[in-house]
Amino acid sequence: MIAPAHGETSGQGAPATLLDDARGVLDAAVPVYAGTGDAARLAEIRRRLDEPLRVAVAGRVKAGKSTLLNALAGERLAPTDAGECTRIVTWYRDGHTYRVMAYPAEGEPRQLSFDREGGAIEVHLDGLAAESLASLEVTWPSQALRAATLIDTPGIGSLSEQSARRSWDLLAPAEDETPADAVLYLLRHLHSSDLEFLRAFHDTEVSQPNPVNAIGILSRADELGVGRLDAMDSARTIACRMATEQNVRRVVQTVLPIAGLLAETAATVTEAEVAQLRRVAEVPVREADELLLSADRFAQRMPELGLTSIEREGLLDRFGLFGLRLATTLLRHKAVSTATELAGELAERSGIGQLRDVLASLFFERRDVLKSRSALLALDALLRARPRPGSDRVCMEVERILASAHPFQELRVLSAVRAGWVTGRDVVLGELEQIIGGGGGALHQRLECPPQARTQELASAASEALQRWQRRAENPMTPHELAVAARVAVRSCEGMLVELGWGR
Amino acid sequence: MTVAPETAGNDAVARAAALVDLGLRACEAYGRPDLAARLESVQSGLADPAVHVVVVGEFKKGKSSLVNALVGANACPVDDDVATAVPTYVRHGEQASAELIVEGSPPRRETVALEELHSRVIERDPAGAASGADEELALAGAEVRLPRTLLSSGLVLVDTPGVGGLGSAHAAASLAAASMASALVFVTDASQELTRSELDFLHKAREMCGTVACVLTKIDFYPHWRRIRDLDAEHLREHADVPCIPVSSRLRSAAAEAGDSQLNTESGYPALVSFLTEHVGASAAHRVAADAAADVAAVCTQLEAQFEAERAALADPAEARRVVSELTAVKERIANLKSTAAKWNQTLSDGITDLNSDVEHDLRRRIRTVIAEADDVIEESDPADTWTEMETWLRSRVSHELLANYTLLRDRATALGEEVGEHFREASCDVLDRIAVPDPELQLAGARVEHKIELQKMKVGKQAMVALKSAYSGAIMFVMLGTLTGVTLGPIALGIGLVMGGKGLRDEKKRQRANRQKQAQNAVRRYCDEVSFVMGKDSKDTLRTIQRQLRDHYTALAEELDRSNAQALQRASDATSHTQDERDRRLADIDAELGRLRQLRERAMEVVG
Repeated sequence: MIAPAHGETSGQGAPATLLDDARGVLDAAVPVYAGTGDAARLAEIRRRLDEPLRVAVAGRVKAGKSTLLNALAGERLAPTDAGECTRIVTWYRDGHTYRVMAYPAEGEPRQLSFDREGGAIEVHLDGLAAESLASLEVTWPSQALRAATLIDTPGIGSLSEQSARRSWDLLAPAEDETPADAVLYLLRHLHSSDLEFLRAFHDTEVSQPNPVNAIGILSRADELGVGRLDAMDSARTIACRMATEQNVRRVVQTVLPIAGLLAETAATVTEAEVAQLRRVAEVPVREADELLLSADRFAQRMPELGLTSIEREGLLDRFGLFGLRLATTLLRHKAVSTATELAGELAERSGIGQLRDVLASLFFERRDVLKSRSALLALDALLRARPRPGSDRVCMEVERILASAHPFQELRVLSAVRAGWVTGRDVVLGELEQIIGGGGGALHQRLECPPQARTQELASAASEALQRWQRRAENPMTPHELAVAARVAVRSCEGMLVELGWGR
Repeated sequence: MTVAPETAGNDAVARAAALVDLGLRACEAYGRPDLAARLESVQSGLADPAVHVVVVGEFKKGKSSLVNALVGANACPVDDDVATAVPTYVRHGEQASAELIVEGSPPRRETVALEELHSRVIERDPAGAASGADEELALAGAEVRLPRTLLSSGLVLVDTPGVGGLGSAHAAASLAAASMASALVFVTDASQELTRSELDFLHKAREMCGTVACVLTKIDFYPHWRRIRDLDAEHLREHADVPCIPVSSRLRSAAAEAGDSQLNTESGYPALVSFLTEHVGASAAHRVAADAAADVAAVCTQLEAQFEAERAALADPAEARRVVSELTAVKERIANLKSTAAKWNQTLSDGITDLNSDVEHDLRRRIRTVIAEADDVIEESDPADTWTEMETWLRSRVSHELLANYTLLRDRATALGEEVGEHFREASCDVLDRIAVPDPELQLAGARVEHKIELQKMKVGKQAMVALKSAYSGAIMFVMLGTLTGVTLGPIALGIGLVMGGKGLRDEKKRQRANRQKQAQNAVRRYCDEVSFVMGKDSKDTLRTIQRQLRDHYTALAEELDRSNAQALQRASDATSHTQDERDRRLADIDAELGRLRQLRERAMEVVG
């Protein structure tokens, strides 16, 4: 489940009022556009503020987007395949009924039938051409989807131009608003078109690429070492290295390794599958190694195992060669024995747990900021494109909020630091990033204290930080950019102290 | 020369080598060191035919593993993370050894231990050369020599850095390398079907290189590799002659370790090996052998000509005077052929001049288009956002234009070489005819003259390519692009004050943005200027080398003719002073020599095919 702790337990008091501000200014815009063709659009922007955060899963073709989406949803929703599979942008949102709607590029939306025999949702297009559809919307009652609406996208670099185009339209549309609030960008290995794509996704609100709403995922991480058991360690090193690269830092907050197939299977593994695996685990080590040397061998050799070829292919599809090697090794060494234990172990090793933690601290705690930001940018675009009597006043108000709300200033400083435009010693910049919430919005994260730190410790850490940053802000030797950033840091410290009940 | 067993190509090479030996002996016997020198260079070419097979593909597709599995050694470093940074040439050697090629002119070579190669060759900073702070020596490549049967026929495997998308500068370099190579092996893996950029790359590669194979790696790891193979075959259907070979480097290594031949078959490598030896190696060997045999035949023709002239003079003393005067006239023709006024020489110098201005104009036109495009992009975006990408974009855009410009140069130079060769052939055949058959009775040898023409023609087209190859010797285009990477766009002053607070946010941003756009446009112009300058000089130098080489080549041929004629003249004059007895004996000798030469030539023609 990706659900964060329920309720408005965000790191600071400001976001709640920010959301109110955003609501206020949207409400003020409603009468301006009442009765025009844009009223519906405005209402949609307004509604978006109260919906779950929208997280898009994007990346190059065959990066494992649908697999990761299923892992996050905790069940097999999106169909996956060896060939290129997702060709239509598909929204998965929580709701009361099971329903699939098709939104054609032109014309009325219509409901489609579907079945779920193979595990994943098979949508029957009923004669609709995939090319003619702008998107599909799957409504599915699910705890996981209540926290975030997930958007699956066709891969870029696809051989069908149309599919790739759809992802561009979704993530980097010609007009200013992006339908997604945040994006998980799947990289298999850093590639020039990945960066180009990420850059395009970010708006130019502060005229720089914005790492606040994107996380890079080194996907199919188990394949990097072509199936060696230590593949994930190797992937972790690579992800760390990538996350420190200037080019990458400018566009994503961090990079995490994920073995998507393992994570997906971990969420859905059955006792029957464990029973089948156990038979393989009972084979002596040498013979098992021979058997698992290649996928072909596993599919064809050792008839004495008593597994049918359909069962073997099923196992290969669900676990992959790496997963099979891992799972049978775990079973052989009695590290796990039941499906639940195996699921836990696989999830642990797939990196999905770490991803959930990071999602919680970087996206969900900041969801009000992210949502308000999306909404305000969308409103701003509308106001500029369709000026009407009275829209000037609303426009000024939007600009005031965008420019002055503290969380937005934090985001701006964060992206400036990430882009390398704020100069200073590395250790100072590192501290700055933490203070303004670059490593997570919770107080202990900002103050670099252990998670179990008591209020007293946090408060003294905060007041020390406050003094440090005040000195830096006032020091005439401090470069202009750093001084501006330091003033923002000072406000962040003050905010934290207020939250800790210290006043000034 | 080492001969790999039982391949048709090697057989042809061996036969050609034997012929060259015979030819050399003949040259020695008849006192023609000039012709011998020509055959000696042919001989060294035969001993090391250097069949380059370039291995290309996207990042991390298992190119280096493929080369390693082919030769059964750790020739190319493999790492989960970092990718190959410079091309590695794997060729035959009696002992395993490794050398680094360090950039410079001429490139310097440094011997290193094979085990050390790993740390020296892999990329330290995969983000790209952007950091540029690398103070180590700039590597242009590495060369590994291994005692392997597969390589002994002259096969050279070139492991290249990943192309990183079709648009990248590396892709252009790989394509340029492919244009010089005998074959290209395109590597993709079984994790997914071919992507758009991979297919685009293949299309282009197909235009640059005649022999292409697509290799699907990692089939041990992906259960659905057969599906992927079929999908790829479907994407490749318009290139029907590009085979798709599925392999697993892991299984191959495991098979080598265990000595398990069944596992080796499972790895799919036997198919790849046979493609390389039979298809690529053999066809290259055939070509090399045919060229060598053609040279032998050409030498025979010249030797025959001088004997025939003597024979004519000997057979009929009355004719002798006529033969001598005829040959004296020919001497003048040959002098003309050597002079700058000769038609081929005129064609060459005019052609090079034209080519120079055409190539330069083409380059200018291309660079202007790039600048215009860059201006449009800058107008539409904020350089503060796009500058890093802009640099990558510009560099790859420019390198592709350079590649196109270079292709123009290559094609036109080849055409020019053909034209010059044609003119030379016309003139020289005329001369050869006159040396060889002054006697109308021997006109029946006309059929043979036809043969000679065919031979000459075969050698003609190749000459410009040889010149071009030596002009771009060594690491080929990689080095040329390497010199360009030294040229950077340089940073632009971003002038981004963090603007906070309410008023004027938007206006201030607009002003700053306009300022940045101006700077960016200027930087692009500076970069393009620099690039045109470097590239302009480069093509001029290349054309000069081509001109010099072609001129030297044909002048040398004319010298050979001159020498043949002089000898014929000498012998014909001598013939007049011989007694009848001497004549008869000499005639018998000559007939025997001619018979031998004819036989040698006929055998050479068989190899030519």
